[in-house]
Amino acid sequence: MGSEFVLFISAAIFSIGSVGFVIRKNPLVMFMSVELMLNAVNFLLIGYSSFLNSLDGQIFALIIMTVAAAEVVVGLAIILTIFRTRHELDVDRINTLKG
Amino acid sequence: MYSLSWLILLLPLTGFLSLSWFGKRFPKLLGGWFACAMVGGAFLVTLLMLAQLYSESPADRLNHVQTLYPWIVSEGFSLNLSILIDPLSVFMLLIVTGVGFLIHVYSIGYMHHDKEFNRFFAYMNLFIFAMSVLVLAADFFFLIVGWALVGLASYLLIGFWTEKKSAVLAARKAFVMNVIGDVGMLIAAFMIFEHFGSLNYVDVFKAAPTAFFPNDDSILLITFLLLVGAFAKSAQIPLHTWLPDAMEGPTPVSALIHAATMVTAGVYLVARCNALFTMAPFTMYLIASVGVITAIVAGSIGMVQYDIKRVIAYSTMSQIGFMFLAVGVGVYSVGMFHLMTHAFFKALLFLGAGSVIHGMADEQDIRKMGGLRYAMPITFITFLIASLALAGFPLTAGFFSKEEIVMNAYHGQYGNFVFWGLAVIAVGMTGFYTFRLFFYTFMGKSRTPEAKPHESPLVMTAPLMILAGLSLLGGFLGPWVHSFLSPVFGGAVPMHHDDAMLEIIAVAAAMGGIIAAVAIYMTGKDQLAFAKQMLAPIYEALYNKYYIDEIYDFLIVKPVKAIGKFMEERAEKLGIDFSVDEVGRQVREVSRGISIWQSGKVRIYALNMVAGMVTILLFVIFM
Repeated sequence: MGSEFVLFISAAIFSIGSVGFVIRKNPLVMFMSVELMLNAVNFLLIGYSSFLNSLDGQIFALIIMTVAAAEVVVGLAIILTIFRTRHELDVDRINTLKG
Repeated sequence: MYSLSWLILLLPLTGFLSLSWFGKRFPKLLGGWFACAMVGGAFLVTLLMLAQLYSESPADRLNHVQTLYPWIVSEGFSLNLSILIDPLSVFMLLIVTGVGFLIHVYSIGYMHHDKEFNRFFAYMNLFIFAMSVLVLAADFFFLIVGWALVGLASYLLIGFWTEKKSAVLAARKAFVMNVIGDVGMLIAAFMIFEHFGSLNYVDVFKAAPTAFFPNDDSILLITFLLLVGAFAKSAQIPLHTWLPDAMEGPTPVSALIHAATMVTAGVYLVARCNALFTMAPFTMYLIASVGVITAIVAGSIGMVQYDIKRVIAYSTMSQIGFMFLAVGVGVYSVGMFHLMTHAFFKALLFLGAGSVIHGMADEQDIRKMGGLRYAMPITFITFLIASLALAGFPLTAGFFSKEEIVMNAYHGQYGNFVFWGLAVIAVGMTGFYTFRLFFYTFMGKSRTPEAKPHESPLVMTAPLMILAGLSLLGGFLGPWVHSFLSPVFGGAVPMHHDDAMLEIIAVAAAMGGIIAAVAIYMTGKDQLAFAKQMLAPIYEALYNKYYIDEIYDFLIVKPVKAIGKFMEERAEKLGIDFSVDEVGRQVREVSRGISIWQSGKVRIYALNMVAGMVTILLFVIFM
């Protein structure tokens, strides 16, 4: 199992995540896509950390997971608030924040 | 003992700071007496300095410099906050704090009804502090600091009644005129530093006699620039127009600042810098000429004004003209002697006028007064003494000092017949306008029967009586003044000139002025109308103060206003405003085009980001 395998898997997950973020309209699903992208990066970090015999990548992965968890807390709170005030969750219709 | 001299500065400063910070919490009268105590304390310390000077031989009395604080220390230049104690500064301080104390006490009565009583006393103490800085400065830098501070105090006090528009305008005028002088002083200080490498009086005056040839260009320029400051502060022609307007302030202010002390600072400056002025005989002629011309011009205007304070204001200008004449012909201590006697009788005149105004319920037009001698006996007698002293009636204070000036205008180092002749005419005018004012105010019958004049309280009349005593007897201090001040002026004591002829003519001129006033104003209305008709064109010119205000208005104020209007309407609206607005407009147009991209749709943003990232990636990989 070479490093190409890790790269391919990581790139695939990242692409799925980014495409999912662009084509889906439900913010919850978009959030999950973001998590996919983050985890693609984590996967890459951990994989290479083991190839290179260095712990740095794994520590990085831990930090990214922490940040992602914090981000989810804030993001879910925002989504919940939007849903409570507008009673819908279509990102294309939440477009008042523009110039 | 000299080390206590900083108290002279500290006490009034304490009064100013505490009254301005906590003035509203002071009980009303306590604030006033507190301010008086501060000035009185400064006077006592000054007396201590005087005693200390007397414990030394005359030659040792010079140059006692007390350094309080080294302020700027740098390569080739150092500036210390220091105090100079010598006969001249102590002499000036005796007048400033002594007369200042009396006027402070008087103000307690005069300002009694004012609701901002303590603010007034805070400013008064600020003025005493500023004047002490000016007088005690040991270098040109702190001289200018004091010079500007007295201007500030004068501005604050002229405009003390801020609800009175004319007072505010007068304050502004005085300030602007004084700043012209400040600029002259400042440039003079720069030039002095350039030539001497120092701003200390001691260094500069020691080096002055050898640094220049007499009438060198640079010494002429330095002395001329110093004179700009002196003339502006002392209201000499052509920078005099602010002084009559300054009478809008409370009367004790006019007495303290615009008669006794601040306006004589110019004379003090010339006397202090005598080492420089001696090197510039040409400037000395200029000083004497401007002085004597101001004496005549101001005296002639004073003869026809009707506002009691303005008459005295013009008289002040005229008397300061005499002082400049004295220092200009080279007899500095005679100028200082007249400064002292003038401080006595002119402060007395103003305070008496204040007492009249107070008793007449703020009436200042002498045509509406008259017959006040019964209602206000103390004011009447003290005012009479002041008038006699001002007119130079024999054996009063003004007689001695003015006779010496007139005599020296002919016999002095730079004196000549023209100066003497003009001075005699001015003496005659003095007698006339003084007694015209006196007759209008106190003699005859009351012209406004409904007025209920009343004598002022003791707190106001007591200073009047003390000053009256000084105005009567101050003239006998002459020999003392000359010998006390002679070390400062290189040991020179003005010679006494026995010239009975000149003396008789001068006294006759003074008496002639008084008699003319009696003839016109005491005997009946006919002569007055006749005289007015005979001299109608002159009368008009005098009544309108030679149209000098109008000339300045036409030559300076109108053009400046026109430039300002042009700048406002054209340069600013079409130039600056337009270009600034245009930049803003263009930026907004461009932004509007770009803002189409900001649709508010999160998915589009994300797509753009991904597309951008991919583009960068492709670029990195394939290029």
